[in-house]
Amino acid sequence: MSKSGLTISLNEVLFYFTRAGFGVKAPIGVSEDFARSNIWIAQNGFDPSECSLLALDNLDSQKSSLSIQFEKSSDGSRLFCPEDRILSAIEASVSCVDWLEFNGLNGGLKVTNVDCPLLVVSALGANQCIGIKVSWSDKSNNQYQVNLNDNTKWEIIASSDVPIEQSSYADIQISALDGTNKATIKNGKLKTFNIADERLKTLNNGVNVGDKWPEIYEYFSRCLVKSSAESRASGAGAGLVDTD
Amino acid sequence: MSSEAVLVDKESDFMRSPEKVMRLDRMGSSFPTRLSFMRTLIRRMSKENWKFERTLRNVDKDGYGVSVYSAITPHRTYSLIAFTQEIPADMRTDRVIAEVWDATFSLFDGVPAQEDIDYLANNTPLQEGGRYRPSELVLARANKSLRVFENIISSLATGVQPDLELISSVGYLMRTTAVYGSGKFGCADRAKIADREECKPPFQIELLAVYLIRWFTIDMVEELAKERGGEKAVQLDQKTRRFIGVGNSTGLGMAPFLLKHPTLIHNWVVAKETALARVRSIETALPGTLEVFLKSLLQVSQHVDEWNVADEVQSARISRLTDEIQALRMWCEDESNICRPYPWNGIYQYVEDNFSLECQEMIVSLIIEPHGTLVDDLAETMSTTMIPKFKADMTLSHLKGVVADAYNWATTIDFSLEESQHHFWYYSEDKLEPRFGSKGVDDGVDQEMPLAIGRDVYDLNEVLQGIDEDMPIGEFAMIHPQFRHIIRRIQNTFERPYSEVQDNLLSESMKPLDLLRFKLAFFGASKFDPKSDLWTRISMYQGAPLPDQIQKSNHDCWAFPIAGRSQSYPCINCTCQKAV
Repeated sequence: MSKSGLTISLNEVLFYFTRAGFGVKAPIGVSEDFARSNIWIAQNGFDPSECSLLALDNLDSQKSSLSIQFEKSSDGSRLFCPEDRILSAIEASVSCVDWLEFNGLNGGLKVTNVDCPLLVVSALGANQCIGIKVSWSDKSNNQYQVNLNDNTKWEIIASSDVPIEQSSYADIQISALDGTNKATIKNGKLKTFNIADERLKTLNNGVNVGDKWPEIYEYFSRCLVKSSAESRASGAGAGLVDTD
Repeated sequence: MSSEAVLVDKESDFMRSPEKVMRLDRMGSSFPTRLSFMRTLIRRMSKENWKFERTLRNVDKDGYGVSVYSAITPHRTYSLIAFTQEIPADMRTDRVIAEVWDATFSLFDGVPAQEDIDYLANNTPLQEGGRYRPSELVLARANKSLRVFENIISSLATGVQPDLELISSVGYLMRTTAVYGSGKFGCADRAKIADREECKPPFQIELLAVYLIRWFTIDMVEELAKERGGEKAVQLDQKTRRFIGVGNSTGLGMAPFLLKHPTLIHNWVVAKETALARVRSIETALPGTLEVFLKSLLQVSQHVDEWNVADEVQSARISRLTDEIQALRMWCEDESNICRPYPWNGIYQYVEDNFSLECQEMIVSLIIEPHGTLVDDLAETMSTTMIPKFKADMTLSHLKGVVADAYNWATTIDFSLEESQHHFWYYSEDKLEPRFGSKGVDDGVDQEMPLAIGRDVYDLNEVLQGIDEDMPIGEFAMIHPQFRHIIRRIQNTFERPYSEVQDNLLSESMKPLDLLRFKLAFFGASKFDPKSDLWTRISMYQGAPLPDQIQKSNHDCWAFPIAGRSQSYPCINCTCQKAV
């Protein structure tokens, strides 16, 4: 299971990513949301390990933080990390969804210095937040806009060919999607996703995970407890030889 | 009816409360009912006239090789691919950590091509060590009961029916030690099949695999007897065939599932409790039903006589149950006790006031049994597609109120006591085997599975006491992310009052066995045979019709079976209309 190049199920995405989040000390409730976001990523044809490994690495190395604060100023609303660290997308994603559910889209929301923008998008998608535009310019100055149109369709508009799952470290702007702002990146490349079609493909073919999977598994395996002769004998309450 | 359509009738005088039902001691006394998932599946098979075929048998003289058994429904085919091999006796274990099995199985979605069989031949025998595809729905394995297996083959080979007493003492030819579905090890996700009519009720596809495994075991001994005895060999007689079930050994893996799916559990329990309430609320017994019930007490006495276990605690419970059924029969002989308004409620109330939980839950099953027309629709309400969401727009004052109202059972436990936090649940690195540890004894407290519902509610409640109630819950969760999971759980369960086990799952006295029996009874399992507090053996499909019996009028008459008799008590809830 720790090998790369596997095809896994959505249930395995849920199982392994929840525990991988827990493995980098994210609280279990946040880890559950992180795994649900990864299911959405996988259902749309992406490799979830490719999308999420950086966020797990950053949290593990304490380059990023789960600490988050909200502030409202004349510039609008903002979520940020109060420490001198990057805001982990694992926490930013759940806080964005909560904020939107409580406040709606009035005035939009900025999320600053997030490590993995696609994780924030996927949390919104997983929670069926629609009529929303998410845009950012990352550390390599690649621009991305994601339109969560409705429950049937979403779009990526990108300024470059760099895959969106590799886009990292950005300030994200979340705002209402309307007729005037559907494509704000000049000469951007548009990719449209039909949610039902993508999901069906995934259910019929599984989720392909590439060379980053072994590292996800490594984080997952931190939730496993070493076996001893005693726990092997008594922990499951059953014998080691059963004949009748 | 949609899966979420049944609401709890809180006003009904006949509905048992969650505080009464969702306690470990009562849950650990559960019996299957006519709403159990195996019963639902068999009824569907008969109603839809499913066909069954053995489409491949490529085995040697000892039965080792590959076979395929298919179930053909009106819309599609499911195929059980069975691999058999010789294994050393001392490598037979019921544990997850086993490495070899007598038989291993994949349930294939459709008709497998040769390349599918070849692929699975390299994976299925490895079980957790193999990888599977969305074309595979279930992965399972089983070990022989050596004494029954050999006895039946040698008897049939010489033209003699096998020793019924021996069959009755074990109940099966093979015992499954794991049945995996829902995306395990790369198999198809439940979402792939969830919209299919035959898969909508819970665990239907897993139980179809088990049904086919049972058929495979019976077919296998008959074929091996023929191989050994030639013309002298006979087949099992129909009643014996029908009595043979398939065993299962269940350990801790089932307990986390139960705790992680509170909405599903609520739906199961509401369906059963609604069925009971409907029956108790009948003012005048439907024609024939009381007579059926009285005769079923006779049958159940015999069934219990055949339920022999080594476990001392369960053995004592069975012994008491025997006496109580006898006492109930005598009480029922006085017509004034039962020929009065609300007879079923009277019977239930008498049993609840006078007898053990084991007897109470058996009577629940027995009084529901003759009322198929009244309750069978509830089987359609027992699944769920709901994914629990964190609701950031709930107010903290609302949350506090909900905790006070619905989680009083948790907030009143004294978690400062050592015995209140004695246990923890964890996954072992040994094939991810779930284990139950003791604090201060076993390693792994830091990797504890998040199953300590009561304690987490208790901790949340402590923090909530000092918090400004006007704070939005999203803000609270940003400050206290460690409570996000339990808040989400509360938000999604407080309107589903049967979703929580209302006991401390960490306490020193907690027995996971109670959770296992509760879940297995909903599956339709019988003859619970505890091997420790963490592990039980059971029989499945004992008494159920085999594929060639599925169209018989008594296909639904297999509650509390007796060896050598397909059905002894009359029934009025199915098409067989056996005379009272």
